[in-house]
Amino acid sequence: MPLTRRMLHMRPMPPAANLPAAASIKVDVDFDTSIQSLSALDAAAYRLIGTATCQIERVGDRYVCHLVSSANPQKRVPLSSDELKERFLNLVTDENLRSRVAEKTEGVRNVILALAFGGLAANQNDAG
Amino acid sequence: MTLPLYGTALQSTGFSSDKARSVIRLRSIESVAERHLADFAIARTSDDIRRAIKTEWPSILVVSDDPIDLSGAFTGRLIAVSAKYDYFADGDVIGFDHASGKFRTLYRRNSAHNSFLVTERCNNYCLMCSQPPKNVDDRWILSEIKESLPLIDQATRALTFTGGETLSDWEDLIDVLKECRDRLPATAVQVLTNGRAFSNSRIVDAWKDIGHPKLMAAIPVYASVDYVHDHVVQAKGAFDETILGILKLKDRGQRVEIRVVLHALTAPIIEDTGRWIARNLPFVDHVALMGLENTGFAIANDAMLWMDPVDYGDGLARAVDHLRAAGVNVSVYNLPKCVLPKSVWPHALQSISDWKNGFVEECDRCDEKHACSGFFTTGRPRFSRGIRAITSQRDRLNALVD
Amino acid sequence: MARFSPPEAFSAATRDLSLLPFNFERTGTGQYLVANMVGDFIRLTEDELRRLVDLQARPGDGLYEKAYAAHLVTGTNQKAQRQLLAARLRSRMSFLQQTTPLHIFVVTLRCEHSCPYCQVSRQSTDRSRFDMSEQTAMRALDIAFASPSARIKIEFQGGEPLLNFPLIRTIVAAAKARSGKMLDFIIASNLALLDDAVLDFCKANDVQLSTSLDGPADLHNKNRPRPGANSHELAVAGIQRAREVLGHDKVGALMTTTEASLDRVDEIIEEYLRLDLDGVFLRPLSPFGFAIKTKQFAKYDAEKWLAFYERGLRRVLEINRQGTPFREFYAALLLTRMLSDRPIGYVDLRSPAGAGLGALVYNYDGSVFASDEGRMLAETGDDAFRLGHVEHDSYNSLILSDKLIGAISSSLTQCAPECSTCVYESHCGADPVYHHATQGDALGIKPLSAFCSRQKGIMSLLLDILESSPEDAAILRRWAAT
Repeated sequence: MPLTRRMLHMRPMPPAANLPAAASIKVDVDFDTSIQSLSALDAAAYRLIGTATCQIERVGDRYVCHLVSSANPQKRVPLSSDELKERFLNLVTDENLRSRVAEKTEGVRNVILALAFGGLAANQNDAG
Repeated sequence: MTLPLYGTALQSTGFSSDKARSVIRLRSIESVAERHLADFAIARTSDDIRRAIKTEWPSILVVSDDPIDLSGAFTGRLIAVSAKYDYFADGDVIGFDHASGKFRTLYRRNSAHNSFLVTERCNNYCLMCSQPPKNVDDRWILSEIKESLPLIDQATRALTFTGGETLSDWEDLIDVLKECRDRLPATAVQVLTNGRAFSNSRIVDAWKDIGHPKLMAAIPVYASVDYVHDHVVQAKGAFDETILGILKLKDRGQRVEIRVVLHALTAPIIEDTGRWIARNLPFVDHVALMGLENTGFAIANDAMLWMDPVDYGDGLARAVDHLRAAGVNVSVYNLPKCVLPKSVWPHALQSISDWKNGFVEECDRCDEKHACSGFFTTGRPRFSRGIRAITSQRDRLNALVD
Repeated sequence: MARFSPPEAFSAATRDLSLLPFNFERTGTGQYLVANMVGDFIRLTEDELRRLVDLQARPGDGLYEKAYAAHLVTGTNQKAQRQLLAARLRSRMSFLQQTTPLHIFVVTLRCEHSCPYCQVSRQSTDRSRFDMSEQTAMRALDIAFASPSARIKIEFQGGEPLLNFPLIRTIVAAAKARSGKMLDFIIASNLALLDDAVLDFCKANDVQLSTSLDGPADLHNKNRPRPGANSHELAVAGIQRAREVLGHDKVGALMTTTEASLDRVDEIIEEYLRLDLDGVFLRPLSPFGFAIKTKQFAKYDAEKWLAFYERGLRRVLEINRQGTPFREFYAALLLTRMLSDRPIGYVDLRSPAGAGLGALVYNYDGSVFASDEGRMLAETGDDAFRLGHVEHDSYNSLILSDKLIGAISSSLTQCAPECSTCVYESHCGADPVYHHATQGDALGIKPLSAFCSRQKGIMSLLLDILESSPEDAAILRRWAAT
């Protein structure tokens, strides 16, 4: 009897070795290397671990991200190809924004850390 | 009825011209306390004057509207003031200008609300300022205060220093505070200040070095957003300096109270401000949320500032909740109980200085009058539409409505 | 003539604005949760977030006010917010100044229960080679007293520690005879062996008791098999008896969650209420020792547990709304982190991790571990968190050991991938032992970590309640109040 998605919901999670091979979703997403950083793609791929694997390949002036949904997903509900692509794109957008924020705030962040803890070395004997 | 703290003498004699002002302490004629050069016996009748002369008082202050006739029997210092100053009592301290005869009451021994105005200069220009700033050289005031301190009763519970900006001449003020520490070691001292001077480490360190046992800096903060606070105090950069000042004071273990005067610009956001203080400055020693005194600039800006307390009661109650949950001591000043939500009542204190405190007719039948702050008598008092005597009948009606 | 300026006169020009550090997480279409450097939360739309990053917020637009009060934006030349954030950060990290306040003495491995999830080796009652010796105990006490903390808590565990009660007596007396520290004592016991001698001792020495109570009788006994099948009966009797002698607040109970618990949170809470306990600590099942062998851990995942937790928390809130004060203790801990900067004494949720720095565990045989879980791991043959031995190690050599420093530094949430940019990072912690046990390294891959999903799930739930229900929010805030 073919496994339907509904049946996957109802059954308790069986040990990994017995999981029948469900069709894994594959989708490719590509980016312009001149405006998209590799590190943001890496960070997005990291957040996707457990949901899908991501292999990044450079093809000419594009980064191509090969996404394959995980054989043993953390979430019970597997994503469709469109959902996976949207999810990844959102993650990349967020990582790009994080990059921008980090760049703009790294200086003041170090200042605040220095203000917070810089005096510690000098003030070992403070009552605290 | 506002107590008259200023006036001009009807007459004065016997004052030398080598100094412009004198600080005077009043004594009852029968007083057996050790006599100080600054002591004046209080006389209200001709009989009193005779007795004072007989007991060899070198200086006499007469409180009377009747003309005085000494017929050369007295060669000491004499001041005569009108009978409306009949509150003068043993232990009170007065500042007196020789040439003009002008005087002001600096200290009243039987009052719980003594405050010294230190200067009229200020580097803020608050929209509701009850003591509008003047750019004058009034550094003599601090000298006069310094001269007064030895005359003040050491049993005095508390003294307040106010202004203007009290730290305008911070070195002189700190000098005076050191005198307080030495002369009045049991007296708690509160200094009202905008706190901006404390953004300067040098000044905070000097403040700390006073080593006063009971000193509190009371500092207004009007918002959690810089330009909102700056607008209320009419000074760009004030918020940043004030908050930095508070941080530096607490860093050196100094006591700090934060004050928020409640009006149309600060009261609608009071929950946000209270929550911000609870989150960012929970280590302050006290927070005072205060009803508006409608005097000074507050009158000029009445249209911008007037807000009926019953309209901000909910926000106020939530602000108090946030502060309490963070362990902050919080009081509500200058607002009568009838306009406050019940959850706030335990925090509502009788706080208005006695000389400007009064009640209205409605209060005569109120159960809570004895524990209520009442109203300001200064300026142009504005009354909430919520003023109503609290009686057990009212409580029952309210319970029905709830 | 007095002249006054309007609000616009006090605004900074855009070029004079600077961004302050913050983390964020997408929570829905066009919706973000944002947290500043000390973990204050604020919700922004995608548009607001972009305007903020581009510094297109202006006084009067609502966004500027929200962002300024939340320390997301500042004036370039202003100083107060930077100092404020620094001061608050210092407060939040001040737990580091109280190093190693908790010392756990495993006085025996013997126990008469045989709980399926128990990490402790099941040894029967008469094998005294599984007891801690007095010499070991005194050496351990030397180490405990060498920790810099002015106040330490000594916790007795096992097996069943009351099976070696004489040693507990000895240790308490010896500790009290030493000067220099304030002391708290607690015995974690199943209370089956509670008698007058133990109770009198606890009363005389101000020793607290903590026991396991997994829920109603059938659930508790299923989790905790004992010859006689009366573990629950004995625990309840023990709680009541101990309260009579020691006082209500000297006796606490902790539950352990198993697969069997997950559908029965209402009954578990009911049982705690019935026994007049002042709250419940809804814990996850820890993946150590026998739990792994018996596949307890594999039987449920983070989502199922979160459903259990949410149901339990909402039930607790309902109880409060009905007039009975009753807490969920983990929520109370998290809320203290989220709503204040007060450092909490809970060693299991901090970064740098609380392993070693927060607690040291002295096993019956003298081995010293960085945490209780580290000891449980060793029972299954993994020595990754064994720091040394009381015979040849000192406090310094244990705390400064490469093992511990390695585990703590490699698991720092402040530096870890995903953690360092996580919106919840200020309120979370590192768990090197958990991640080592489940993934093989102290840091772990957080997208695969049930610890991570649980943490995010709970905090997201708490934020949701704080924002959507004023009555429940007031209850939660009370739990975090001083």
